[in-house]
This record gives sequence, structure tokens and C-alpha cells, in this order.
Amino acid sequence: MLKYLGKRIARSFLTLIIILTAVFCLLRLMPIEGYFQNFDKMTPQQIQVGLKEMGLTDPLPVQVIRFFKDLLHGDLGVSRIYRSNVPVSDILKDKVPVSVKLGVWSMALSLLVGLPMGALMARYKYRWFDKIGTLFIVCIQAVPAAVYFLYIQLYGTKLMGVGLLFQINDPKYWVLPVLSMSLGNIAFYGMWLRRYMVDESNKDYVKLAKAKGMSEGGVMFKHIFRNAFVPLAQYIPTAFLNTVIGSIYIESLYSIPGMGGLLVTVIKKHDNTMVQGIVLLYACVGVLGLLLGDLLMVLLDPRISLGKKEGDR
Amino acid sequence: MNQEKILEVNDLDIKFELRGKTLHAIRGISLDLYKGEILAIVGESGSGKSVFTKSFMGLLERNGYVDGGSAVYYGADDRDNVELTAVKREKDWLRIRGHEIAMIMQDPMTSLSPLKTIGAQIMEAVLLHQKVGHSEAKKRTLKYLMDVGIQDPEKRFDQYPHEFSGGMRQRVVIAIAIACNPQVLICDEPTTALDVTIQAQILDLIKELRHKYRLSVILITHDLGVVANIADRVAVMYAGDIVEIGTCEDIFYDARHPYTWALLSSLPQVGVKGTDLFSIPGTPPNLYTEIKGDAFAPRNPQALKIDFVKRPPYFEVSPTHKAKTWLLDPRAPKVDPPPVVSKIRNGGLL
Amino acid sequence: MMKQFSYRHTKEAEFMESMEEGELFSFAGFNEMEAEKTGYSNYSYWYSTFRAFLKNRGAFVLLVLLILLLAFTFIQPYLPGQYDPNMIINDAKGMQFRNVPPGKDFVLGTNSIGQDLWARIWAGTRTSLIIGLSVALAEAVIGITVGVIWGYVRKADFILTEIYNIIDNIPNTIVLILISYILKPSVKTLVFAMCLTGWIQMARFIRNQILIIRDRDYNVASRCLGTPVSRIIIKNLLPYLVSVIMLRMALTIPAAIGNEVFITYIGLGLPVNIPSLGNLINEGRALITTPALRYQLVYPTIILSFVTISFYIIGNAFSDAADPKNHM
Repeated sequence: MLKYLGKRIARSFLTLIIILTAVFCLLRLMPIEGYFQNFDKMTPQQIQVGLKEMGLTDPLPVQVIRFFKDLLHGDLGVSRIYRSNVPVSDILKDKVPVSVKLGVWSMALSLLVGLPMGALMARYKYRWFDKIGTLFIVCIQAVPAAVYFLYIQLYGTKLMGVGLLFQINDPKYWVLPVLSMSLGNIAFYGMWLRRYMVDESNKDYVKLAKAKGMSEGGVMFKHIFRNAFVPLAQYIPTAFLNTVIGSIYIESLYSIPGMGGLLVTVIKKHDNTMVQGIVLLYACVGVLGLLLGDLLMVLLDPRISLGKKEGDR
Repeated sequence: MNQEKILEVNDLDIKFELRGKTLHAIRGISLDLYKGEILAIVGESGSGKSVFTKSFMGLLERNGYVDGGSAVYYGADDRDNVELTAVKREKDWLRIRGHEIAMIMQDPMTSLSPLKTIGAQIMEAVLLHQKVGHSEAKKRTLKYLMDVGIQDPEKRFDQYPHEFSGGMRQRVVIAIAIACNPQVLICDEPTTALDVTIQAQILDLIKELRHKYRLSVILITHDLGVVANIADRVAVMYAGDIVEIGTCEDIFYDARHPYTWALLSSLPQVGVKGTDLFSIPGTPPNLYTEIKGDAFAPRNPQALKIDFVKRPPYFEVSPTHKAKTWLLDPRAPKVDPPPVVSKIRNGGLL
Repeated sequence: MMKQFSYRHTKEAEFMESMEEGELFSFAGFNEMEAEKTGYSNYSYWYSTFRAFLKNRGAFVLLVLLILLLAFTFIQPYLPGQYDPNMIINDAKGMQFRNVPPGKDFVLGTNSIGQDLWARIWAGTRTSLIIGLSVALAEAVIGITVGVIWGYVRKADFILTEIYNIIDNIPNTIVLILISYILKPSVKTLVFAMCLTGWIQMARFIRNQILIIRDRDYNVASRCLGTPVSRIIIKNLLPYLVSVIMLRMALTIPAAIGNEVFITYIGLGLPVNIPSLGNLINEGRALITTPALRYQLVYPTIILSFVTISFYIIGNAFSDAADPKNHM
């Protein structure tokens, strides 16, 4: 088992390196305007000098190596436009905890609401709870998040009596953002859990459990739920990624001083190094999330002791 | 053998709704199960064996229903007899399932939840049906494990199904059934998915447990070899009806229904080296349409014209043996059973 | 001599019933054909799928409405009296018709620059639909091609699985943001960016299905009987494949439209002169605080919601209908 864990972590690490390199190379294609504050006023020679200074005219492999060297020192470069000459890592340092808090609350809420919802929908299949749940899921999954986020903000702020300007220490102001962000995952968990539970209920061991004299509810929650949760666990990383992406939008919408909001701002300002820093950070988060998901699968299913074929997920 | 009835089925009709059409799966079966016996139900796939027994526990598929007849269960110790066809609510079925009638199924590979230890799964049954606490339940579980022949029960208790072989898993399934403390045990093709060598062991186990726990057993199988090994009485089923029923000797040494003859002729053991093995021509009838007369008639080379017109009633051959065939009617021509019957009787093939 | 009759026929049976005892108890003779007569199943996969889908009246109604909407979207510019979506409309005095609420002159009102909202909404729907359909189609074509190779050519399996693992690890939206940031925003850029990560799921799915043709017992049995691979593909695989491919495509379209809205909000969307549901919603969003002007947000969101919900429901309904377990 440990051997498998070790292999999996090593592979994730390798994937991360490849992704970082790929993204880094891709980012070399960013429009050069993003490196300079006064691009319009600079002459071509000045631009060249500036680029050379930043090491951007060096051959690609050299840049990549330098990038990783800097990375090991925690150096993500320096912002040029957003906050001139301030190291990227300093700027990010303050923003990350806010985003993390938002993300954690949202994940917790989606699990606490989404899982029971899916289970109850499977239990009371085709009855009114299932129908309402399905309606909810369809609306949330079909309509782009951007749309219902807007309406929630519009009517929610009025309902709750909160202003539009975010107060970081007032819990009231966290309610709508966290709620909005979790809706997508609630629908997601609800849908998949219901599907898996319904699939499981056709299996032989369920028939035997019923023949044993277990009640419908007992079978549902003691057997079916546990078995259905195993394939569901592989979706938790995806849900996690959804949360991360959702935070970009939500933070911007509610002016929350986190990484997502920052990303939107620096894109609008065309600050390349900032964009680079944030994108790389998100890539790491993504890889990490998927790794944790795989490890969760191993923990949950006693049948997995050796490597599983990745492509079968 | 005790002549006390524990289950009495009269004229049971079961139908299914499928794609807008009605399938008449069980066509008026009457059958008795006596206390302490092992009754085997033999038949081809699709004859309705499983459906028949599932109806006793309310485990029919959603589109299936009982359309007539009765099935009375006499075994309930603290209550009156139960009319099984009248049980409607899930709550009421829970008092029958496990506690009165238990079932083991064909495929031990999929009958157990992969995520729970087998100990936990057996204990579940104990806790459901026996009013004991946790530690006592564990003690009893270990005893059941010993009873079904699993060595080293303490160690095995904590293991998962995937760590067991097929035969062992089936023993676990049997242990679960026993743990429910039932009166009737229904075994739905318990050895079909197992190796021949393991088959014998499982059958012996069932025989032993029948005595030890005073069970009445219905054994469903398509394998006559299994039947000969273990059954007290045999019921032969075809197209949703029981065409012949009798003791094991009656059926093997004195079969009267042409279908039973055909089944016996199909045994590989009676084949003659160098000749083709016998197989019954044709296929079972379509149960969507109404069957007139004897269902087996079209496949029966010795069918009488009346077989196509009127359904034969039971004709009694002896107090223990009856068959639904017009050949037993005094007006019918004398038909000799095929040579296989005397071969079996004399040659002791089984 | 044995007479051979077919006794199932009622008339014959009646004739039989009138026979004397002696006749009844004589042998009937054996008819091989009667013995083989069994109910044949008239099960047709596509017919049952179709029937199951039609039973779902909600989905069927939505399908009809959606088709009508799609048709109208593309016919709309050719109808009489339609404004150009980008044209700023001036009144007699030369003043722009800004923020005119829905009424006689402008069916859905105008926006803050003086453009006709009705025309803009339909133009926007056209653009978004084109994006969605292009992405779905491109993903399907690339995905199926790669998937078939991935499944068939054993040597390709390893390398493609590794590539899959890497691509799967990057959040799709990040790639979308990146590509849009680097290239100039346009319809082609968006379609390209969305396809970049989307095809892999389709490819993986197709690859799994191909492996199934190889590995499932009934397919191995067919091959042993000499069934040509093409027939296996058409009879066993294709029904399942087509239904799930269509499901994926049906779900890709709302996802693509959603992505477009998202990316527009971030500021990397289409330029304003190409109306899309994304930038219409964005424009409407700015006016969210003024109740009187909220219609500029509401109408685009209604159309958007209708389109996305319809595709989603129809896709799922079709997928449910195509599942043989539901053909009861």
C-alpha cells in the first residue's frame, strides 16, 4: 500500500513539473505589453532593453531552468503594472488565506448538503423530494453559474440587508458568497450520488440484504450509501476544482480580497508576471486536489491495494 | 418425515407487465412444503423457479404481481398463519424475511457487500433477528462460522469478501441465512456458480444444517445430479407449472411425465458412448400468449391430441407421486417410459 | 399414418373439442416446426429508444420548442423590420434612443448606447450557439478519432494515457483563461480554447468502449463465430456510442455557452461589436442596480436559461431513453 502511495505521489509531482513547464512556456507567448507600465511611450530599443533585463530574450530552456531555480527560493517574479516592483509572492501571501477560507467553507457546505440530498433522492426515488431535487439540479447545472450568481447577489443582498461592499470580518457577508459557490457542487454531488445509489440498488448483495430482513432505509444507508460513495469520491477533486474556479468569479463579484478577484484585476490590467504567478498557483492546486482524490479512493475501497489503471476512472 | 405442512400453495398465478404486454410466469401452481424436508424444484431456465419462491418473500420485481391463488405459511410460532399473497406493506414483509423465510442466492461473488467484513454482514443478520447485544452477537456469529465449516473464525471475521474463494463465500451466505433463525430456507441454485468439487461440500452442509437447525428447505436447481444427492422430494417445473412431483425415488425410478423423461434422457451420464447426446427438441413456449392444453405438448413426440386441447389435471400414481399428463388417464394408450428410466433404476447410475 | 395438425388455431381446437374420446386419446404426431415456435422478441433498440423518449413528454415539448427557437434564431435577420444589432439608432432629432424600455418601437427595448435589444439578443444567441455547436462538433470529431486510435493501437495506449493524466490535472478554465489572454479574443479563439481540453474526455470514453469490444465476452464470442468487426461495431457498439456521444454533445453546448459568459465577465471575452449572450449579460449586469433598466439583464438571461436548460434536459432524456434498462 505504501509503495502505491509513494508511486502515486511521485507521479503527481512529475505531472506538476510537466504542467508548470508547459504553462510557463505557454506564458512566454503573452503579449509583451503586459510587462511594461508605459508601453505606449517606450521606443522599440527601450522595449528590447527592458525585455533583456527581465531575461525574456534568453532561449527558452534557460528561462525554464531559471524559473525553477527561482521557484525553489519562492521567487515568483515581480509585478510590473498592478503594484510596480512588488514581488508577486508578497502580494499573493495576503490573498491566499482569504481564498482558502472561502473554499473550505464552500466545500464543507456542499458535502453537508449535497450528500444527504442525493441519498434522500435515491431513497425516495420518483417521489416529490426526488422531483424537486431534480429540478434544482437541472437548473443549477444547466444555467451558467455566472447567471445565477448574479441573481443571488441581486436579491440576496437585499434580503439579508448587507451592502455590496464586502466586510471581511463580518460573518454575514460571507453567507452569500459561500452559498453561491456551494450550489454548483451541491447539485453535482446530489446528481452523482443519486445515480450511483440507484445503480447499486440493483446489485445482488442488496437483494440478499433485503432477503435478510433489512428495512429499505437500513439497506440504503448501511450498504448502498457506503458502496455508492466509493465511486463518488473520485469526483470530489473535480468538485474541489469547481470551487476554485467558482471563487474567481465570486470573489470578483463580491469584491472579496482573495486570489480569484486578484486574477480578474490583473488580467484587466494586463500584468503578465502577476497572471503567471496566479495561474501557476492554480495549476498546483489542481494537481494537488486530484492527488488527494486518488488517495481518498485508496482509503475508502479495501479492494484497491495495488495501482489502478488511471484511464479507467 | 413429518407430515406437518409448513407452506401450502394453491393455484398461484404470477404475472409480469413488460413493454405493455402481460407475461404469465406462474400458471396456477399448487404445492406443499412439509416440515423438515428438502424439496427440490427442477426446471429449465425461464421455467419460473426463482419467481415462484421470490413471491413468498415479497421480492418480485416491480413489474411483477400475484394475480390469483394463495400461499399460506404455517410456521409462524407466535402468530396465526400468514397468507403470503395478502402481504402488501414493506413493514409486514420485514417480519417474514429472514425471520421466517430466508434465501440464499446463486452467485456468491456478488451476494456480499464488498465494503463490509463478512463478520459484520453476518452480525447484521444476528442483530436484526435475535434480541442480543453486540458482544453476544459476535459470539454467535463465530459459532455460525464454525457451523458452516469456516476454519479459524476469529481471523476470518475481520476479512473482506474478496479475500474468500467462491465456495467459502457461499458458506458465509449460508451463515447469514442461518443467523436469521428461519423456519424455511430457500436455496436458489446455490451451487450453480461453484466448482463441482465444492458443490458436494455445500450440499452436504445444507443437509447437515437442515437437521441441526430444523429447517425446511426448498432447493432450486436445474441440475438433476444435485437433486439426487440431497432431495427428499422433487417437483419438476415447466413453463410456470409443476408437471410432476414425488419422492426422489418416484421421480428417478418411476417418472411418468414425458418432460421428466426428457430431462432424465438428457443426463450426460446415461449417454451411450459413440452416439449423440440426447437433447429436447424445440424451445419452451411463449408465456405472453395463453397456452391451451399441456404446455409441453409441442415438444413431445408422444403427445396425444387431447394434450393440445385440454390442460391435464394431476393424476395420482401413488400417495406421494402425481403427474400432470394425459398419459396417466385410463383412456390413454399405454406408453412405455424410455429405456433411460429402467437404466437408472437398474444401473444405479446416480 | 399420423395426421399432422397445427393445433394452436382456435378453429382447429374447437374442431378437436368436438371429437370423440377415442380420437382425443390417440397420438397427435410430432411437428418439428411447432416445437420450435416460441415468442420471438420484436425488440428493436432504436424503436424502443424512440418510444421511451416520446414517453417523456416534458423533454419532447422542450425539443420542439428548442427546434423552433433555433430555427427562428437563424431566420430572424431575414424577417422584415429588423434592426442591425450593431446599429446605433437615432431618432428624428439625431439623438440616440438610449435605454428605451420595451414597447411599441423596440420589442425588447434598447441598450445604453441605443442599439436594439431584440436584434442584439438574437444575434447574441446566434453567436453563442455557433460557439457551442462548434465546440461540441470539434470535440466529437477529435475525440472520436483520437479515442479510436487510443483504443485500437495498443502501443498508443500508454503514451495517450499519460497525456490524459497530465491534461486532466489542469483545470480547464485555467487553460481557457490563459489562451484567451494570450491570443486576441474572437470566436475562433474561444472555440479553440474550449476544445483544447474538452476532446480528451470524449477520447477517453471512446477508448474505453473500444476496449470493451475487445474484452467483453459477447463480443469475443461474436468474433469467434467469425462476425466481421464492422458488424460488431454497428450492432453492438454503435447504438450505445451514438446515444452517449449525443449526450455529451448536448451537455457540451450549455457548458460552452457558460464558459463564454464566464470568460466575458473576466474581460477576455468577445469584443462588443460581436454580440454574444456573454457580453449582453455583462452589459446588463452593469445596470443591475437600476430596477427600470433591469430588463437589459433579464431578457438575455431568460433566453440563455431556456437554451441551456433545454439542451441539458433533452440530452439527459435521450440518454435515459437509450438505456436498455428503461425499455420496459
